[in-house]
Amino acid sequence: MGCGDLCDSQGVMSGASEHMIALVDCNNFFASCERVFRPNLVSKPVVVLSNNDGCVIARSNEAKALGVKMGAPAFKSERFFAHNGVHVFSSNFALYGDMSKRVMDTIRPEVDDMEVYSIDEAFMVFEGPAAEERARALRLKVEMWTGIPVSIGLAPTKTLAKIATRIAKKMPEMKGVFALRSPADIKRALQRCEVDDIWGVGHRSASKLKSFGITNALKLTLADPGWVRRNLSVTGVRLQKELQGTVCSPVNDAAPRKKNIRTARSFGAEVKSLAGLKESVGTFAVNCAMKLRGEGSCCASVTVFVSTNPFKPQATQYHGARTIKLDVPTNDNLEIVAAAMRALGEVFRSDCTYKKAGVLVGDIVPSNQVQLGIFDSVDRSKRGTLMKSIDTINAQMGRDKVRLAVQGFDRRWRLKQERLSPCYTTRFADILTVSV
Amino acid sequence: MHCVQIHESPSMKSKMKLKWCPASDVAFDAVPFFDEGVQAGFPSPAEDHLDLDLDLNSYLVQHPSATFCCRVEGDSMVGAGIQTGDVIMIDRSLTPQKGSIVLAVLDGEFTVKRVDVQDDKLLLIPENPKLKPIVVGEESHFQVWGVVTFVIHKV
Repeated sequence: MGCGDLCDSQGVMSGASEHMIALVDCNNFFASCERVFRPNLVSKPVVVLSNNDGCVIARSNEAKALGVKMGAPAFKSERFFAHNGVHVFSSNFALYGDMSKRVMDTIRPEVDDMEVYSIDEAFMVFEGPAAEERARALRLKVEMWTGIPVSIGLAPTKTLAKIATRIAKKMPEMKGVFALRSPADIKRALQRCEVDDIWGVGHRSASKLKSFGITNALKLTLADPGWVRRNLSVTGVRLQKELQGTVCSPVNDAAPRKKNIRTARSFGAEVKSLAGLKESVGTFAVNCAMKLRGEGSCCASVTVFVSTNPFKPQATQYHGARTIKLDVPTNDNLEIVAAAMRALGEVFRSDCTYKKAGVLVGDIVPSNQVQLGIFDSVDRSKRGTLMKSIDTINAQMGRDKVRLAVQGFDRRWRLKQERLSPCYTTRFADILTVSV
Repeated sequence: MHCVQIHESPSMKSKMKLKWCPASDVAFDAVPFFDEGVQAGFPSPAEDHLDLDLDLNSYLVQHPSATFCCRVEGDSMVGAGIQTGDVIMIDRSLTPQKGSIVLAVLDGEFTVKRVDVQDDKLLLIPENPKLKPIVVGEESHFQVWGVVTFVIHKV
């Protein structure tokens, strides 16, 4: 007891030169984005569906209270939604991406270090005193500037910050911010955190831990490290240390360059013909090339994969993939599409009906480190200018306005997005209209 | 002709400023002009004097992550130079002052009005003599979505 008090007081005393890791998590992010531009939906149930309007991927608190589950298939819930006045949106990633950028840009100047972890989460560092006060001010700022409500958890490590954020979300009296600081607080929080809810513990590790009687995070911190290493490998040991308050995974400012870039979609309607597949694969390839140019990279391999519908077991099942290696790394639409078309030609089987296809570009190198080939016949500076012009026009006029003929004009394979909201922040034709 | 007419919106009527710059005022007249005798490869003497292009974004947008655009329909704010079809810039980072023109949400609906406080009552004031100010009742849901900073009007 006395020892516990001592630890506590030391923890508070060392507050003057504190280094706290915080996690900002946007509340019900996709649903919140839709609401910013539809204030009439505040305090109404809102859900957002996955690509192709498949299943529920975001729910407002009101939708959660109605019992709508994450991953609920949309077609089965149609009547429930209508009956309960649930507002349903197709996912609008152009909007969510822009709102995410706004949230991150609003946070950045207020913190000492920052790592954007996902579209709606970022780790940050608060150095020095008053971390919790700064976090509260930051939360208000983000909501004022962007309209997106966020929760913030603070703790000595990322894994603990994740737990703190859950508490900030679940307990309204915390007003969106919760700091796990004193050993006693940490102990209590770990005791209440089930192993399934620990960041980085997957389904299988969780069942393994439970079968050994390790049901909550506190029990994991007390387990023998040798046993943890044998059963959960080195990842488990790092996890254990993080839960004990030792930083194993620091907040990393520089995002690592992507190892590969992938664009894949399930089709709204199944596709049988090679011509139909060419359109979608061509568009995915252009998409990958655009992403490469966006981060200043080139790729040296292009992979195309196709698959049939696994939910139609009576039809011929087929999953194929083919990779084409490029002599000179590139981010040029024409070259990447040409490689993708070759790969598609090799992977295509005419006796199947396809539900999904994708393009993956790999062996990525920075554009300025590209080794030119001796027999290279492409005028790279000219083509670079062409790509820049295409990107500029498409940025102004709309995606894929300038496109290769192979991308086609008939887009039946495209996403099913029946309840798509306007791209309020990224397209002039879509900006909010207000009657005054 | 497509021209961007920009007025700073707070207290727009009194401070509408459109300044013409005569061509002779432009900084480039300080640059000597060589019309002959310059060999190919001679570095342009203007190079050191080149300025960045005028960037309308930096003029119109002070806080990029908090700034949104929206299109206006209706004539309740014509007196403030906001007309049907205009695009207004809204900055959410600004705190509305008495007299600010704001994009507000009143009972779930968007509106653009000038805000004022009189006798402890919050008023939404249209800029059109045909319309009357709206008193925001205590029972109604009212929120300022953002402060209007610019109007972009196509002439």
